[in-house]
Amino acid sequence: MNPIKKIFDLLEHDFSESGNFAKLAPLFDATKTFFFLPSPKTGIGPFIRDHLDLKRYMSVVLLSLMPVLFFGMYNTGFQSGLARGESLDFWSAFLSGAWVVMPIIIVSYAVGFFWEILFAAIRRHPISEGFLVTGMLFPLTLPPTIPLWQVALGISFGVVIGKEIFGGTGRNILNPALTARAFVFFSYPVTMSGNVWVAGANAVDGITGATALAVTADGGTSLTAALADQGFSLPHLFFGLVPGSIGETSALCCLIGAAILMITRIANYRIILGGMAGLILTALLTWLLPGTSGTWVDAGPIYHLCAGGFLFGISFMATDPVSAPGTNPGRWIFGFLIGFLTVILRVANPAFAEGVMLAILFMNVFAPLLDHLVMKHRISKRIPNV
Amino acid sequence: MAPSKGFKLKLAGMPDTSVIRLSRPATVGVSALDIPHIRPKLLVKEKEAVKTGTPLFHDKRDPDIRYVSPGTGTVKQIRFGPRRRLIEVVIALDGMDDFVAFDPVSPADLNTLSDPDLIDRLKQGGMWQTLRQLPARDTADSSTPPPMIIVCLNGNDLFSPHPGRVLQNRIKQFEFGLAILQRFSDRIIVAARKSAMDRLEPVKHRITHQVADIYPAWDPGAILYHIKTKAEENQAWYIHVEGLIRMAQFLETGRYPVETMVTVTKGHDKKPHMITRPGAPVRLLAGNYPSDSVITTGQLNGRKVDPDTHLGFFETTLNILPNAPDDEMFGFLKPGLNKPTVSKTFLSCLVNKEVQLDGTLHGEERACINCGYCETICPVDLMPSFIMKALHGDDIEEALQLGLLDCCRCGLCSFTCPSKIELTQILSLGMDTHHKDKQG
Repeated sequence: MNPIKKIFDLLEHDFSESGNFAKLAPLFDATKTFFFLPSPKTGIGPFIRDHLDLKRYMSVVLLSLMPVLFFGMYNTGFQSGLARGESLDFWSAFLSGAWVVMPIIIVSYAVGFFWEILFAAIRRHPISEGFLVTGMLFPLTLPPTIPLWQVALGISFGVVIGKEIFGGTGRNILNPALTARAFVFFSYPVTMSGNVWVAGANAVDGITGATALAVTADGGTSLTAALADQGFSLPHLFFGLVPGSIGETSALCCLIGAAILMITRIANYRIILGGMAGLILTALLTWLLPGTSGTWVDAGPIYHLCAGGFLFGISFMATDPVSAPGTNPGRWIFGFLIGFLTVILRVANPAFAEGVMLAILFMNVFAPLLDHLVMKHRISKRIPNV
Repeated sequence: MAPSKGFKLKLAGMPDTSVIRLSRPATVGVSALDIPHIRPKLLVKEKEAVKTGTPLFHDKRDPDIRYVSPGTGTVKQIRFGPRRRLIEVVIALDGMDDFVAFDPVSPADLNTLSDPDLIDRLKQGGMWQTLRQLPARDTADSSTPPPMIIVCLNGNDLFSPHPGRVLQNRIKQFEFGLAILQRFSDRIIVAARKSAMDRLEPVKHRITHQVADIYPAWDPGAILYHIKTKAEENQAWYIHVEGLIRMAQFLETGRYPVETMVTVTKGHDKKPHMITRPGAPVRLLAGNYPSDSVITTGQLNGRKVDPDTHLGFFETTLNILPNAPDDEMFGFLKPGLNKPTVSKTFLSCLVNKEVQLDGTLHGEERACINCGYCETICPVDLMPSFIMKALHGDDIEEALQLGLLDCCRCGLCSFTCPSKIELTQILSLGMDTHHKDKQG
């Protein structure tokens, strides 16, 4: 018999109804099912069932996040080296980046799981696998310089207020990871916006500057020239060797993740493609407006697509099935309006350089309304059977 | 008519088209478990002698609907389940059949019988209930004429008997059966799976609809959904070809027909079609199988059967599903070449070969995450997760508006749900409750 299985069998009694740790049964259950995929007999029909379960489902999302995670680690180290004026080789950049990023991820998972276990123990239900994704998404939206206590506070807000008070996984209105980020964004604006986020820059004094979306050009130069001047040339934005939040900088890695999600049909392609269409069309429209050169109004669709967190948001955040619409036409509209609102927020509201977070949260609120309208329409098309 | 949604995995176990005749069983049974909505009242006692055709129990809601003994002998046992729910009446067979006899009606004489007489004859003979009525699938209501009658040549399961085999040497009875149905409705739909057409040449001119070879396209509910044009057609009647033939045999001979065809599937075995008595013992049909298997009368929309009971009145197939091996270590991380799925999350979706599924959940129940797999697979374009939420909120009106009664109980939403929610059960319960309320 498998030795690990033996350990679980030994401990099973302590966590059972009559055991000493009955309250912690969800924790035991989650750990055990992590090691051994449970497969109880089907009691009622249908008697055969698909092999896909939520563990697999969420594992695929985590897999799709690996490119942005690993690239984020490398880029964090690379930017930090750049700021110190050192040129790091690949592995030392990666390792120094990982040294900064891993604590953020560990704190996010540890604090988030604490809340998950607490609520699961009180409500006596198993721990949902959904948190595996939330706990990874949230750190990737943060700057590497974030203080760890803010990470802890943010994920607590996201899990408790964003999800658990609504009833837990599957019942939340807003995406918990984005709720957490919005909380940190509005509570601690100094750490979350404005200055370039470069981890490990304590050796250097007074780095000032802005993320790509905060750049504007003055005196007749075009925005693209101003961007290139500050290190945000299009190839840099596409491959992601620019300062920014851990996971969002590389458009390429986000696209790889989106491709994995769309090929495995875990994310709905309608949301991602609809979002890109919305962004591109709106950016084209603002680009055609006269007299705007030098600002993001004039940036054009390619820059809007590659800069900032849009691709990260639309691929990983907007496609969260719980907070997105459940009907296909609803998903197209939902995605399209996220793209539209992202550009509008970027160009029309100087208070927020980045628009995608608010665009997604705003559309999360409207997702049930979109579903409602689509269903009204579908009901009118059905031959009634009442 | 081209329904494109449904079950597209290739399952192993298609039975061989050869036919064998099983030996005479020692007992036969009439099960009450596969008769929907029935409230049975027993008409016999244990140890009582019965003839082939003697009523064993009737439906309290309409005492004219009788379920009769499929053999001659003595009532060996009347089995009850929890809360004294009737499970089945078991008959120990005598050597010879002694029939409750009715006047034979030849096809030429059919029109000499008036409608009420014909209906009464079929009810007395225990044959009327082969006609059932959508959407609740209750016994057909003889007091109102149906908008159409759907004749299903294929059974409930993927591996139900091949209609070409069921109809072999029974073409005359089939034609007679259609003539009987024409007494009740002008509109007769005869539907068959495309893959079954190879052996249906003699009745090809009678087939009005060839349906796609995607489960459950041949289910009467799915057929009706795709052909109906107005709300009145929802009350259509349907009958399976086995029932139609037996109905015709009964009228023609005046005796309860004592032969039926069943299939048994087990893994990659290709078992022949079997001719046996209606209500044959499950053990006789199943043969040898691993002790921890699950035996069902339809792997997606049947019921689980106890091997010591008998096959039901409407049932024509048994699936023997193996039990899963032990819980798999880090199972969710495996590439999954041998894990069949309709999703694209295991490598198995790249391999196009016959697969075998075991009778386990492959996961644990979780909250609905609104992923939409149920909607993607539903053959009648329902949104099962939304209907489930409406039913959980006790909003039957919304559930009905969303098309609850179009549900054909195919089981695919439960099959595909990654959260392992028993959607089919929830929707079925909603439909049954609604039907019960309507009956008052």
